[in-house]
Amino acid sequence: MSFVLSLLIFLPIIGSPLVYLVTRLNKKWGVSFSAAFATLILVVSAYVFWEVFSNTPAIGQYALVENYSWVNFQFFGLNYLLGTDGLSSPLILVSALLTLLVVIGSRKLIDHHEPEYYALLFLFEGAIMGVFTSLNLILFYIFWEVVLVPMFFFIGVWGGPRRKYAAMKFIVFTFVGSTIMLLGFLYVYFGMHFSSFNITDLSGSIPAGLQYLPLLASFVGFGVKLPVVPFHTWLPDAHVEAPAPISVLLAGVLLKMGGYGFLRVSLGLFPIAASQYAWAFMIVGIVSMFYGAVVALLAKDMKRMIAFTSINHMGFVLFGAFATVVSGNLLGIQGAIFQMFTHALAIGCLFMLSGYIHHQAGTREIPLLKGMRLTMPRTAAILVLASAAAMGLPPFASFLAEFLVISSGISAYAISGISILVPVITAAYFLWMIKRVVLSAPEGSSSVHDMSRSDVLAFAVYLVPLVLLLVFSYVILTPSQPVAQYLWSLAKAT
Amino acid sequence: MIDLLTLSIVILSLSSLFLPLFQLARRPSRNWPGYILAAVLAVVLLLVGTYSLSPQRSVWFGSLLAADQLGALFALVTLGVTLFVTVASFDTVKGVNNPVYYSLLSFTALGMLLLSFSQDLLMLFVAWELMSLPTYVLAGFDKNARSNEAAVKYAIIGAMSSAIILYAISIAYGLTGSTLISTVVKGFVAQPNLLTGIAVLLFIAGFGFKMSIVPFHMWIPDAYEGAPTTISTLLAAGTKKAGFIAAIRVLLAVSTLYIITQNSLFTIANVFAVLALITMTLGNVAALTQKSMTRLLAYSSIAQAGYILIGFVPFAYNPQSMAATVGMTGALVQIVTHAIMKGVAFLAAALVIFELKRGDMGAFSGLSKRMPITAFTLSISFLALAGVPPLAGFWGKLLLFLSVANSQFGWLAVAGILNSALSIGYYGLVIKRMYMDEPESNQRVHEPFWYIVIFAVAVGLIVGIGIFPQPLINFASGAVPAIFPK
Repeated sequence: MSFVLSLLIFLPIIGSPLVYLVTRLNKKWGVSFSAAFATLILVVSAYVFWEVFSNTPAIGQYALVENYSWVNFQFFGLNYLLGTDGLSSPLILVSALLTLLVVIGSRKLIDHHEPEYYALLFLFEGAIMGVFTSLNLILFYIFWEVVLVPMFFFIGVWGGPRRKYAAMKFIVFTFVGSTIMLLGFLYVYFGMHFSSFNITDLSGSIPAGLQYLPLLASFVGFGVKLPVVPFHTWLPDAHVEAPAPISVLLAGVLLKMGGYGFLRVSLGLFPIAASQYAWAFMIVGIVSMFYGAVVALLAKDMKRMIAFTSINHMGFVLFGAFATVVSGNLLGIQGAIFQMFTHALAIGCLFMLSGYIHHQAGTREIPLLKGMRLTMPRTAAILVLASAAAMGLPPFASFLAEFLVISSGISAYAISGISILVPVITAAYFLWMIKRVVLSAPEGSSSVHDMSRSDVLAFAVYLVPLVLLLVFSYVILTPSQPVAQYLWSLAKAT
Repeated sequence: MIDLLTLSIVILSLSSLFLPLFQLARRPSRNWPGYILAAVLAVVLLLVGTYSLSPQRSVWFGSLLAADQLGALFALVTLGVTLFVTVASFDTVKGVNNPVYYSLLSFTALGMLLLSFSQDLLMLFVAWELMSLPTYVLAGFDKNARSNEAAVKYAIIGAMSSAIILYAISIAYGLTGSTLISTVVKGFVAQPNLLTGIAVLLFIAGFGFKMSIVPFHMWIPDAYEGAPTTISTLLAAGTKKAGFIAAIRVLLAVSTLYIITQNSLFTIANVFAVLALITMTLGNVAALTQKSMTRLLAYSSIAQAGYILIGFVPFAYNPQSMAATVGMTGALVQIVTHAIMKGVAFLAAALVIFELKRGDMGAFSGLSKRMPITAFTLSISFLALAGVPPLAGFWGKLLLFLSVANSQFGWLAVAGILNSALSIGYYGLVIKRMYMDEPESNQRVHEPFWYIVIFAVAVGLIVGIGIFPQPLINFASGAVPAIFPK
């Protein structure tokens, strides 16, 4: 049995106290040590990604599986079951990459309680890896909850002026959502006479009657995380108050848990109910897309605008995933996976940039930032490029993701063609923001420091993969095809 | 094997009787009685632990007591809590009366030990009183008005609950001609009538006072707040659990045979279900608004009693079902983990109250800067109490909610989950206070050595059980068959 996935989970978790000790000893060493450590984890995750890409598991199968008995008594059993496939491997890779970039980006932006910060960062990373690799529902739930604790402290300790309120709101919303999700899991397990919690055993074998309530429960749990419209109100507060590097993790990694859950659990375990009510999920997806886009248009705080962009973009994930189970057009699920990957990079870049601008210019208010092309030319250039990536302009792969999702949506219901308006609104608010921030005339003689060449390099790490992905899109689309095929076959079987 | 338990009883009796002799010493040396009691409790824990490695059921003292795995589990929990409280008292209980203090603790421990193994209603009652009477004194051990008020309130309510239990016992004896629990249970089942129903309800009420079930809970917050906080620990984590063993021994034994009532509305299962619902809901809702730490802990303790009761429901409904096994295992796991989590939370609060001389929420603002180890311990225990995995509190809740997840008691699982979600509100608020609010002063506060030892052990247990729950779950599920009357 392979042990790579366990390594991926426990390397960061065991590293967390080490990072704490080193950073406590010396802050400079701590940051370098953290960066080196995050690079090591990135190498492991790149290996996982490569393994899935080169030996793509067959339809309904998983790679690098680990299976041990964990808790047992009489008829009750829990397995420590890990595995990965074309759905989780891109998310694993992008999470490890973003963690490394966040470590590098935090150097200037985090200035107190560094030991705890970097330690929690790795605890977070380990838990995220656990979420993406667990194939046992209870194990999945455990890692899911562990993620909350570091994030609660990130927002509450290192955040902005209303950090405490945002932290409490975050933990209450997500905890309520996830406990309801757990109830759904217990309902299935009890209903199936305590048979198994393993996703591999449950997938395709849950009777239709047991699928409806858990699907609803999972919608609450994953919908809060994604977030979809009725459950999204924690997100703007959390994003605006969180320090910029944490916003990167929040948007780039934590939201993906919701999208992953919808694909792995909602579609994977409850396909009959899911395909029956797919139209409802697609409506929720479209509403989130439009809502996120329209509110972003009105936002004055740059970070708030980017936060609503996340709601907008995550709507595509939900929309695409459920479009596939209606139409059988696999591009919806593949596009959703692709969208999660590209959104993580594009939005991560924008959030880090907003933190940088706030740090340098002292404000994030769009109306107050003026003439950036003259005062901070390098920052302005990156901002324009990152905005182009986020609005899905063709040199960047985000374009492909949205294209795939929308085309799949149209093949499900022709009326979904209205979703084509969403990228238009997205482009509108980004361009309007660029007009006000970059292209306007500078006010007074503000002496603002532009970013250094090395910083430009760090931001390029977000954007270069996005350009490459448009050309080499098959590295994600090929492994994701069996996943889409499998989920569609489950839904079709009804 | 039985000798180990007899030896435990003898040792504890001796320590209870002879510790007060230290009072006679000309210059009372500060902590000797405490050290001796801690050593005695450690030895007794070791003895009971040795027994529980291979628990054979056996009867002794003329069938007044019977050793089984269920009893061993409760004995280990209650004695463990007493040991924690004893060690925590080293630094905080000083003065001429401390030999008496430790002697009373020892009596309580003896009472809880006997109660764990009682097989006879009269033995159970005697053990109950042996456990309760010393705690009335201990609750008033601080010589101030609040502590005395708490003690008086607690003593009056305690006496009332004892009277109710005694009344129930007298009905049981009148109906069946025996005080042996197994005979009483069989008699009840043979001839169910109005009186048996009344006796069962009286038992629920009597035990309910100690278990902090809702209509019988009103003394809890006042007593926990007024009593010395180390003693509140004993009440919340120790004697409360003794209420549960009494309820399991008597009431659940009845329900193993009392299946006749299954078709009517007024069954033991339904009574437990309703009590569980109102207990956890009231506990959590009231905890949200508390301004004093000990009151918050008291209400959270009431809420936890509600969770534990959930596990009784499927068992009372159909003791042979799979759900019943899951539920009772969950209840027992929750009883053990709750004792650890709540015990250490109370002790951490006790330390803060002792050092800062105040117990309102303001004392906890910015505590992470003043008492980092205490704040960390309190956070871990709160997260565990809220049921955040992978900490100890998760497993009990998982099994409890699972046991009713998809049955006619499914609403109880929904209520439990929602309550659990509600509880993160007040637990999270305290953690927020400790880590995100500014302290009134930045001065570090001394954290005594023995407290740090307790905190380290407890946090180790909370995390350890959370990650490797198998031994505890095995032990708990192995104790379930002992509920069926022999």
